[in-house]
Amino acid sequence: MLSRVANSLYWMSRYMERTDGILRMLKINYASSQDEIQEFSWKPVLKIFTSLKEDAADALAHDTRAVLQFMVIGKENPNSVLNIVTLARENGRSVQDHITKEMWQCINDFYHIIRQDKLAETLQSEDPITTLDSLIKQGLLYFGTTDVTMARGEGNSFINVGKYLERAIQSTDILDVKFSDTFFQLDKITDTTYWKYLLMSISGYELYLKTYRSGFEAKKVVEQIILNEEFPRSVVYSINQLHRYFARLKHDRNPADFNKIDFMIGKVKSKVKFSTSDSIVHEGLHHFLSETKKSFFEIGTSLNNNYFAYS
Amino acid sequence: MQTSELMQSYLVDANTWDEMSTDATVREHYKNAVEFLEKLSIDDLNKREEFAKRLFMSQGVTFTVYSSGEGIEKIFPFDIIPRIITSSEWDTIEKGIKQRLKALNLFLKDIYTNQFIIKDGVIPADMIYSCPHYLREMHNFPIPYDIYVHISGIDLIRDFDGTFYILEDNLRTPSGVSYMLENREITKRIFPYLLPQSNVRSVTEYPTILHRNLVSLSPRQINNPTVVLLTPGIYNSAYFEHTTLARLMGVELVEGSDLVVDNHKVFMKTTSGLQQVDVIYRRVDDEFLDPLMFNPASKLGVAGIMSAYRKGNVAIVNAVGNGVADDKAIYTFVPAMIRYYLNEEPLLKNVPTYQLGKDEEREHVFKNIDKMVIKKTNESGGYGMLMGSAATEEEIDIYKKEVCADPRQFIAQPIISLSSAPCYMAGKLQPRRVDLRPYALCGPSGIEIVPGGLTRVALKEGSLVVNSSQGGGSKDTWVLGPSSGGF
Repeated sequence: MLSRVANSLYWMSRYMERTDGILRMLKINYASSQDEIQEFSWKPVLKIFTSLKEDAADALAHDTRAVLQFMVIGKENPNSVLNIVTLARENGRSVQDHITKEMWQCINDFYHIIRQDKLAETLQSEDPITTLDSLIKQGLLYFGTTDVTMARGEGNSFINVGKYLERAIQSTDILDVKFSDTFFQLDKITDTTYWKYLLMSISGYELYLKTYRSGFEAKKVVEQIILNEEFPRSVVYSINQLHRYFARLKHDRNPADFNKIDFMIGKVKSKVKFSTSDSIVHEGLHHFLSETKKSFFEIGTSLNNNYFAYS
Repeated sequence: MQTSELMQSYLVDANTWDEMSTDATVREHYKNAVEFLEKLSIDDLNKREEFAKRLFMSQGVTFTVYSSGEGIEKIFPFDIIPRIITSSEWDTIEKGIKQRLKALNLFLKDIYTNQFIIKDGVIPADMIYSCPHYLREMHNFPIPYDIYVHISGIDLIRDFDGTFYILEDNLRTPSGVSYMLENREITKRIFPYLLPQSNVRSVTEYPTILHRNLVSLSPRQINNPTVVLLTPGIYNSAYFEHTTLARLMGVELVEGSDLVVDNHKVFMKTTSGLQQVDVIYRRVDDEFLDPLMFNPASKLGVAGIMSAYRKGNVAIVNAVGNGVADDKAIYTFVPAMIRYYLNEEPLLKNVPTYQLGKDEEREHVFKNIDKMVIKKTNESGGYGMLMGSAATEEEIDIYKKEVCADPRQFIAQPIISLSSAPCYMAGKLQPRRVDLRPYALCGPSGIEIVPGGLTRVALKEGSLVVNSSQGGGSKDTWVLGPSSGGF
């Protein structure tokens, strides 16, 4: 497979995964903002998903309508759903002959939907959940179509490598920023709506209720989001999948490149796998998360250097 | 009756051949389709037109227009009423094009080797050497199987009496074939059940034949030669076509930066190292192909690719230097070529063409300028031409001066009215002018033409310019099978 094609598939997939993450975050935070007695702050969301400066984020943090506008269709926001879907489509467009026609149409339709003027209107004047839901569904259609139609070859492996690396980064980010609100003092958080919304934003609420019967506790939330191998948004699940799909790229012709990245993934995988919620608290949650995130970024850079670079 | 509603207002210009109607009756080969259409209400037809647009949009059959830093997706206008060609008309076209291509191929071989045609005085030497697309670099260049024109799109028009004329030969990188394929797919969706009952010949073989031809050109005699399609990239207006063809043939779509030349061999950069390339179907123009030989500023090409080509390590399709054969001034000599190389009379006529380099012909053209169209010999896409009937005095004067400055670069032709075909516009059928571009494929086993082509339509009433860059659209083009009735 051409390096350029692998690169485009990988980024198309990362952008689609990010789109899904952003939309879910927006939906749940919006719901949360309607529930809040005190003024709801969008600052954690803005910090994870945009590159806004501190004061610009502060200015926007309490205006729900403006945040939705900025995050979904803001042309000036490089990480808005509009811009990310456009990037996913540009990448998909340049590799149309490597994805199935159904996948391409799915991304292309998404692009045309997000660009409709009507969308800007309904986002402002009608129930935002309806709008966000319809966009999330468009993304799910892509994931389903990919799963059902895409041949299980090298292309599919790059798509999944991109998807799970993006998801791993997102899940660490979500914890990192959410807990920075409380200065990483896990025992200080007592408000259960906070946990509920955090878990709901990554579809982990019901699983939490089934796993832990004794109510909300910060350490258990951390445990689920980092260490639960069955939770599809957990850090460890994402790493397992990343490793699984990367292993399929093994090829006689580039053993050195493969072994290098395989080692990097294996290392962060062991570190997470053999942690417990106690050991993480002991190490310091923030430290643990930023070290893990650093490993993910290094894996991304190495993929770029060893698999995608034109050399 | 709805019959009359759709058809009554169909008024054909008296001096024009209409594809569908003659003396206010519907021609035999259109009857089936007209009957089908008459059963549909206007509302229904509007819905189907809308549906066609949606399909094009959703499939990304679009080109991008950039304005204020933002890309706007446009679809190439599509008219839902198919253009129908009878089996016997197609016979003439097919034979004529095959004959013409045979001669043009021999001409290219000759002009880049022995130049007998010049020595025998059939074409003056200055006609060849003054052509900007004549490439000295191609002299005595070994070309596999002596095939220069693997893929061609020859444009045909019809005069008032229905005679087909060759309008121009496109022998470099003709585009539009994806629309031939796509338009047919759209017709299947908007008029379900119509195609199977209409005896229409299929066009779906095109990518298969093309792929087979490309594979057969591989210099390495191996099982699975690597064929690639070289595109200028996603900002090219024909990018959709490049991806479609690559997908339908199952070949790799590459950009110049994906390829590299090492020791006179072409390789592509893959995730598992370099992989040798055997055949390149390039959609990049000659002058951008190799910065070492042609335009040094080109980033679309591959440095050193021409040396690999010369060594016979890679096949390039179409051959380089074909522009000398589809030059509009050389066009005049094609009938003479057919006589010279094949000893046959041309089956399809040329439009009479005046060389403005010749004093008497130029004078004749200037005198009758209101009946003439003047074109630049090396331009295409409808750019740089003057329609004598539609231009103002001032425009004509300016153009005349331009002509006199360098007459070799211009030719003139009497304005041919072009046949008309029914289009669905504003709730009724209206005649609009059309041309026809069939696509011929030439491989080691001979020339094949898929029964169909691209029908381009001048969407403006009375307009004779069908080029998409000048507001033209397209239609699905049906070639009927021989068993349908007595024609």
